[in-house]
Amino acid sequence: MSTEAIPAEKPKRNFNALFGLTLLGLLLLMWIVLAVATPSFATALNITNLLRQGSLIAILAVGQTFVIITGGIDLSVGAVVGFTTVVVALLINAGWPIWAAVLITLLVGVAIGLFHGFGIVKMGLPPFIITLATMTSLRGIGLLMTNGNSISINSDPFQAFSRGSLFGIPYLFWMVILVAIPSYIFLHHTRWGRYLFSVGSNAEAARLSGVNVPRTIFMAYILSGLLAAFVGVLLASRIGIGNPTQGDTYELQAIASSVIGGTSLFGAIGSVHGPLIGSFILSTINNGANLLNVNTFWQRVITGALIIVIVYFDGLRRRGK
Amino acid sequence: MTSTAQELHPAPTLAPGRTILELNGLEKRYPGTHALKPVHLAFKAGEIHAIVGENGAGKSTLIKLLTGVMPRTSGEVIWEGKPAALATPHEAMALGINAVHQEVVLCRHLTVAANMFLGEEESRFGLLQQRAMVKDAQKIIDGLGFDLPAHVVLGDLTIGQQQLIAAARATVRGTKFLIFDEPTAYLTRKEADQLFKLIRRLKGEGVTIIYISHRMEEVFELADRVSVLRDGTLVGTRNIAETDEAELVKLMINRSIEQIYHKEHFTPGATIVETKNLSGKGFENVSVTVRAGEIVGLYGLIGAGRSEFVTTLYGRHRKSAGQILWEGKEVQVNSEHDAIKLGMALAPESRRDQGLCLNLSVGMNLNLPIYKRISSNALISGAKEKAEADRQIADLRIKTPTRSALASSLSGGNQQKIVIGKWLAHGAKLFIFDEPTVGVDVGTKAEIYRLFSTLLSKGAGIILISSYLPEVYELADTLHVFRRGKLVATHGFRTASHEDILGQALAEKQEKSGGQK
Ligand SMILES: Nc1ncnc2c1ncn2[C@@H]1O[C@H](COP(=O)(O)OP(=O)(O)OP(=O)(O)O)[C@@H](O)[C@H]1O
Ligand SMILES: [Mg+2]
Repeated sequence: MSTEAIPAEKPKRNFNALFGLTLLGLLLLMWIVLAVATPSFATALNITNLLRQGSLIAILAVGQTFVIITGGIDLSVGAVVGFTTVVVALLINAGWPIWAAVLITLLVGVAIGLFHGFGIVKMGLPPFIITLATMTSLRGIGLLMTNGNSISINSDPFQAFSRGSLFGIPYLFWMVILVAIPSYIFLHHTRWGRYLFSVGSNAEAARLSGVNVPRTIFMAYILSGLLAAFVGVLLASRIGIGNPTQGDTYELQAIASSVIGGTSLFGAIGSVHGPLIGSFILSTINNGANLLNVNTFWQRVITGALIIVIVYFDGLRRRGK
Repeated sequence: MTSTAQELHPAPTLAPGRTILELNGLEKRYPGTHALKPVHLAFKAGEIHAIVGENGAGKSTLIKLLTGVMPRTSGEVIWEGKPAALATPHEAMALGINAVHQEVVLCRHLTVAANMFLGEEESRFGLLQQRAMVKDAQKIIDGLGFDLPAHVVLGDLTIGQQQLIAAARATVRGTKFLIFDEPTAYLTRKEADQLFKLIRRLKGEGVTIIYISHRMEEVFELADRVSVLRDGTLVGTRNIAETDEAELVKLMINRSIEQIYHKEHFTPGATIVETKNLSGKGFENVSVTVRAGEIVGLYGLIGAGRSEFVTTLYGRHRKSAGQILWEGKEVQVNSEHDAIKLGMALAPESRRDQGLCLNLSVGMNLNLPIYKRISSNALISGAKEKAEADRQIADLRIKTPTRSALASSLSGGNQQKIVIGKWLAHGAKLFIFDEPTVGVDVGTKAEIYRLFSTLLSKGAGIILISSYLPEVYELADTLHVFRRGKLVATHGFRTASHEDILGQALAEKQEKSGGQK
C-alpha cells in the first residue's frame, strides 16, 4: 500500500541531474565533449563553419516560433528561402543596387506572409494547408522563372558578405544577433508579443478582451515570411547562386529547432532564445557527426533519435519545476 | 454494455450507515501549494455529505484524489474496508466512484450519446452501435427527467445543459459513490430542481453522495451532514440539523459576514447605452437602457437569450435589426474591438471557453485588456504590469502563489475572479457581467458586490446577467426578465416577488430547447 500511496512523483527524482541540465548546458556539454573527442572541432575554421551553418536555421526558427506560439505552423519557409534566392539573384543580375535588391526581396517575403494571413483569416484555411500549398507552389514558380537552371550571381561584394567576419565572428552569425535582439524585445516586452501568446492560448478569450486576433495572426506570418526571405538573401550570398530548390527541408529543421527550444506545438509557449539554442544544437549534432566520421545515413537516424530524447527530457525538466 | 433503467444503479452492497469510504490522513501538495493537509474523514453509506469552503480551500483537490484524476502525496483511502490505490480514473470507476467535475470534462465535438457512453461504447463485432446508443442515451436522459436531445453535439448545448449530461453520464455506470462538484453553478432553478430530484432518487437507491456547493440553501436542502474545509484543513463536520448558515460561514472564513448583498443606491445619471428593438440570433425586439450609476439585471432561464443579447451588443455577433445608441448617438458595433473602444467591457459566462487563457500566467490574463495602457510605444512597462496584476490579486484576494503562476493551476472560483478582475482596471463606462459569481465563495461574492458599487460611484453602468435570482433581485435597480429570446417583464428594485419573477421566466411549458437548432 505504502508504495501506491506515493505514486508517480517519486521516480522522477532519479533524473535530477538531467533536469538541472538546461538546453544551453547541453549545448556547451556537446561542445566540450566534441572538443576533447576530436582534434578538428575546436579549430577556428570549424567553429566559424558551425556558426555559419547554424545561423540560417536559427533565424528561420525565430520566425517559425512566432507562428507556432499563435497555435499555427509555417511549412513554407524552406520554399520561401529557395524562391527568394532566385528573386535576389535576378534583381542583382538585372543591375539593381544591392540594397534595393535586398529590400525588394524582403518585401516579397512580407507579401508571402500577407498571403498566408489572408488565407487563414479571410478564407478560413488551416495554417497547415495554406502554407503547405505555398510550399509546393513557390518552388514551382521559382522553377518556371529559372527554367530549372541555377542563376549565378554576378556580384562579388554581395557574395563577400557571407564570407566576411567582424571581431572573428562571421557576419552571418552577427545577423542572428541582429534578428534575435529585436525579436526578443518584440516577443517579451511589447504588447504585440503578449497578444501572440494570448491568441495561441485562447483566441476567443483574447478577442473578448479586445485583442485584434486577425491582425495578430497576420503579424506572425508576415514576420515568418520576412525572416525566411532574409535567410534567402543570406543563403544566396553564401552559395552565390539563385536556385529555387535550395533550402530543402529547412522548414522541418526550423520547426525541430523551435520545439527543441521548448516551443509547444499547441501554442502559447515559446521564447526567442530557446529556438536559437535549439538550432545550434541541431547543427552541432550534424557537425559533430561529420567530424566523428559517422556514416551519413546513420547521421539522419541519430539526429531523429536525439530530437526525441532532448524534447522528452526537456519536457520532464519543465514539468518537474 | 446495454443499459436499461433497472441495471443503472445496482444496489450497493453495504447496509446504510456503515462506513463506505474513509480518508486516512489524505494529503496533497502541488508545487508551491499545500492544497490538502492530512484529512481524516469517514463517509457513511447512503448519506448526502456536503463539503463547503472558500475558493481554493481544497474541495476539488479532494475530489480529484478520490477519482484518481491526480495522485495523492500521502495518506490512505479505505474503500469498503480495504485500502484503495486510486491511481487512475478507471480504477475509481471500477470501484463505483464517479464524479461530476466542476468544469465539464467531456468531449465537446462528440454527440451527447457518444459522451454518455465514452469508454464503454456499445458495439457488435467491433462496430459501434450508434443508433442503439442514441436510443439508450435518450432513454436514460428522459428517465432522469431532463429535457434534452441525445443526438446533438455536446458543444451546442449550454454549459448548464452540458453539466446535466455530465450528471447523467455519472449515474450510468454502476455508481455506488457519486461526487458533485458545484453542479448547480451554471444551472437555473428549474434545472437545479431536476438535479436535486435525481440526487434524492440516487440516495434512495443507497448511493453515497458528496455534494460541493457555495450555496448554503442547497446544502441545507439536500445534505445529511456537512464538512468544512479551510485552507486545506478539515475544520469541522456537522449534522445538518445541528448547525446553521452562520456557523458554517464562520467555520469557512474564520470571521462572520453580516451582509452579502451590498447595495448602494445612486441617482442615475446620463444614459450610457440604449438598445431599440434590437434583434439577433437567439433574441428579438429587446429594448434596454442603462444609465450611469445603475445596475440593470437580466434574469431568465439559461438559453433565454440574455448572453446572446449582450454578446451582440458587444459586437461579437451581428444584429439582424434594431439600433444601438451609445450616449445618445446611434453606433455600429461590428467587433469586440469597436465595443471596447466605445467603453464597454464584457466578462463572459464561460471562463474556460471565453474568459481565460488557461496556459498563460495569472498576471498576463489580468493585464490582457489593458496592455495598451501600460505600454508606451508598444514597449510594456514591466513595473506597471507587475503593479497592476498585484493590485488585482490583492483587491480580489485571488489565491495564487505568484502572479506568474498559470491560470490553470488556480481553483475554479479564483479563476472566475480573474475573469472579473481583468476588467476592473480597464476603466470602461459600461460593464457587462455574465454570471459573474459562478463558483465564487460567500466572502468573495460580498467583495465583488462591493466592487460593483465602486464602479457605479465612478459613473459606470452595469448589466448584470444571473441565473441565480437572489443575486439580481438584491442588486439590480432595474430587473428585466427574459423568456425564450424576448424581454417579457421589467421591475424596479425589489418591486416584484421572487415567485412572480420566476413565473414570468418560466411561464409556458418549455419545449425541448437549447440544443436543437
Ligand atoms: N494543478 C494545480 N497545480 C498547482 N496548484 C493547484 C492545482 N490545482 C489546484 N491548485 C491549488 O490548490 C488549492 C486548492 O484548489 P482546489 O481546486 O481544490 O480549490 P476548491 O476548494 O475546489 O476551490 P473553488 O471553490 O474555487 O473551486 C488552490 O490554492 C489552487 O491554487
Ligand atoms: Mg473547486
